Amino acid sequence: MGAEKQKGNSMAGKKIASYLGEYSFIIVFFLIFLIYVLTCNGLTWNGMMNIFRHSAVVGIIAIGMGLICLTGEIDLSVGSMLSLDAGFSVIIFNMTGSIFVTLLFAVAFGAACGMVNGLLVGYVKMPAFIVTLATMLIFRSFAQYFCQHIDKGLLGGGSSVYRMSMEKPSYDAFYQFGNGKVATLPIVGLILILMTALFVYIATSTKYGKKVYAVGSNEKGAQMAGINVPLVKISVFTIAGILVGIAAFLWVAMNASADPATTGNSYEMYAIAAVVLGGISMSGGKGKCLGIFFGALSYTIIDKIIVALKMDSLINNAVKGIILILVIMVQIMGPQLKSKFVHHKKES
Amino acid sequence: MGLLKMSGITKSFHGVTVLHHVDLTVGSGEVHALLGENGAGKSTLMNVLTGVFPRDGGTIEFDGKDIGAITIRQSEELGIAFVHQELNLFNDLRVYENIFLGREYKNAFGKLDKKRMVAETRGLFEELGVDMDPTEVVANLKTSQKQLLEISKALFFKAKLLILDEPTTSLNNEEVAHLFSIVNSLKRENGTSFIFISHKMPEIFEISDRYTVFRNGHFIGTGDIASTDPESVTRLMVGEGYSSEDVYEKRETGGEVLKLTHFSGPGFSDVNLTVEQGQIIGLTGLQGAGSSELMQCMFGSTNPTGGTIEVHGKTLPAHSIHSSMKAGIAMLAANRKENSVLPDMSLLENMYLSEHTLSAWKPLIRKRGEKEKFETYRKLLNIKAGDSSSSILSLSGGNQQKVFIARWLNTDAKILLFDNPTQGIDVGAKAEIYKLILELAKSGKTILINTLEIPEIQKVADYCVVFYNGSIIKVLKHGEIDETTVMLYSTNAINSEEVQ
Repeated sequence: MGAEKQKGNSMAGKKIASYLGEYSFIIVFFLIFLIYVLTCNGLTWNGMMNIFRHSAVVGIIAIGMGLICLTGEIDLSVGSMLSLDAGFSVIIFNMTGSIFVTLLFAVAFGAACGMVNGLLVGYVKMPAFIVTLATMLIFRSFAQYFCQHIDKGLLGGGSSVYRMSMEKPSYDAFYQFGNGKVATLPIVGLILILMTALFVYIATSTKYGKKVYAVGSNEKGAQMAGINVPLVKISVFTIAGILVGIAAFLWVAMNASADPATTGNSYEMYAIAAVVLGGISMSGGKGKCLGIFFGALSYTIIDKIIVALKMDSLINNAVKGIILILVIMVQIMGPQLKSKFVHHKKES
Repeated sequence: MGLLKMSGITKSFHGVTVLHHVDLTVGSGEVHALLGENGAGKSTLMNVLTGVFPRDGGTIEFDGKDIGAITIRQSEELGIAFVHQELNLFNDLRVYENIFLGREYKNAFGKLDKKRMVAETRGLFEELGVDMDPTEVVANLKTSQKQLLEISKALFFKAKLLILDEPTTSLNNEEVAHLFSIVNSLKRENGTSFIFISHKMPEIFEISDRYTVFRNGHFIGTGDIASTDPESVTRLMVGEGYSSEDVYEKRETGGEVLKLTHFSGPGFSDVNLTVEQGQIIGLTGLQGAGSSELMQCMFGSTNPTGGTIEVHGKTLPAHSIHSSMKAGIAMLAANRKENSVLPDMSLLENMYLSEHTLSAWKPLIRKRGEKEKFETYRKLLNIKAGDSSSSILSLSGGNQQKVFIARWLNTDAKILLFDNPTQGIDVGAKAEIYKLILELAKSGKTILINTLEIPEIQKVADYCVVFYNGSIIKVLKHGEIDETTVMLYSTNAINSEEVQ
């Protein structure tokens, strides 16, 4: 009897432990948020909404990155892709003056860029790290080259920057969309929530979502179960491209311009960091899409903490790097310590 | 006289004894065949001898000296060389570099003396009659050359005892003859001894002087090859008086559902086979004989090189796993951990994934419906598991395997290919899986099982198809299946007797 009860207790304990493991991103988020509350002297609604707004672009890119990481791959090109896509979207807006056409273009162009990565990784079977390193260079270079060599009229009169033309009648509406609020919530933040909800649904409730996990969990096993592994890989890269397209559209709406040299700089790293903080395993198969949302927010809050502490912003990345190492260390050493502990218990 | 004398060797892993006081004596200048079925304990004994595992008990005497606990390095220094079945060569290094790895010749400044190493390698090859360029990169060598390189490497350091673990699996007849001539001349001229592990009877009887047989970790017998014959050796390996509860029963079979015509692919060739609905066909053969390769090709995971496969009278067109699945073929793959288990996913997810690839046009998962299906299979297959949302890794091997059987039944496949379905499963679960196979056949499924365990085929199969060297060597009816007969065919001992 006693033994059975003990067994029941340890089962419950295991369950709680596994939930804590699965939702560790929330713990990470609240820890970082707590530090923010303690340091920002006076938490305001506006301040919080600002975090939200600043997480939108990185958050949406990170969702795509998260899907790619779930299959066990990586995409280093998303930052440059954002820059190129945003730049070209500005040109399209300046040509057509239509917000809708601009959105359509941004998404389609992102999808095409992502599919290039996907085909090379999934179909040609090149290592994703190398492929996307190369396309990272290519996209960034194109963004800068075309900015110099295109008719200045299309650049909205900017030099070395893609600038939205203010003469277009829909300019105000577009800019308002990027900077406006609905019931004090920033529109771009709402779109991040919308996208998160959509991809949480895809990941948990569709056949496609489960295939993504299966490929990352055991590629050979997924193949032998009948899953078309190359197709799944091509599709996640394409979806990531689409999300970069949406992010580029938001970027343009928020900033009314895109600087090919700085837009999206290091965003691939921020996205990867958000994915990791969100508890998605870089080797694939494990993690929750909801985690990415919290990961992106956590990442933005670190920025705000550094500002609040009046630290030199140059130390920003060092702090972020250290936090990343700590989080991953816990992720990796946790199971190792656990297995050691279990082993120890068995032997004694 | 005796070079090696191992006596009373005992070894157990995690409380399971795999060697029960076994003996092995090898004389100098002798080729000694070490025989036994898979899992008989041959490799474990060799690993004990070469210091890979420490032994639990028993004594080893080599070259007149008692050997205590030894390391791999020490056993090499004593003159024992292990030529593994899976070759331990560095593919990106050159031939001579592989031979001298870790014991390179250097000049006073620490620079490698490449010339001397190449010259000595060349000398060695000439002595052995091996035709190989010492400066060639190992990756460019044929498998047979790599095998010879391994052996040459062992000989260069004056090994007194060479352990050859299935050295001929990747060699053709000519290369085997060459290898044997080298073995014979070394034996005669240098007095080198060999322990020869092989499953191929003709070769064993051609090259060996003496033999020792193990069965299930026990020493069974030893003797001179000249005073025995393949059949009695096979009987020693398999054991007499094997009995089992007979679960087999005859079934009504339907029309022809599967037809292979001159079907060829990687690892097998020219297979002709017709299977009727509801039949259970056992495929067997030694490792690499082609039965597992045939299954993989039928399932579409490898590409055929010739011939056709017809399902329900229709030739399978494009060759992919998806097209095979659409034609109603399912495969429970061998190496469960590598090919079936999706370790990060739940039981339910592991079950429904395959069916979902066939119904992708309905993109949403009906969770309740899937759970109901899982419960049905849980009852049908007697899966002992907690909640359907628990991890697949929380189940025992046998129950995992049942989840994967559920995975394929769920695709509504009519033809089930089971590749080594009882691998790593305990005895009770094995019996259950075979009973299940019979029940599935009764319900109209057509089943092909590939296994090396003949008693299992004996229990369930209507026919047993024996493979040797990539083709079908014999088809046995249910009544004719017994372990000795199957062994005789799969080691090609029957033909070697005819030659004698």
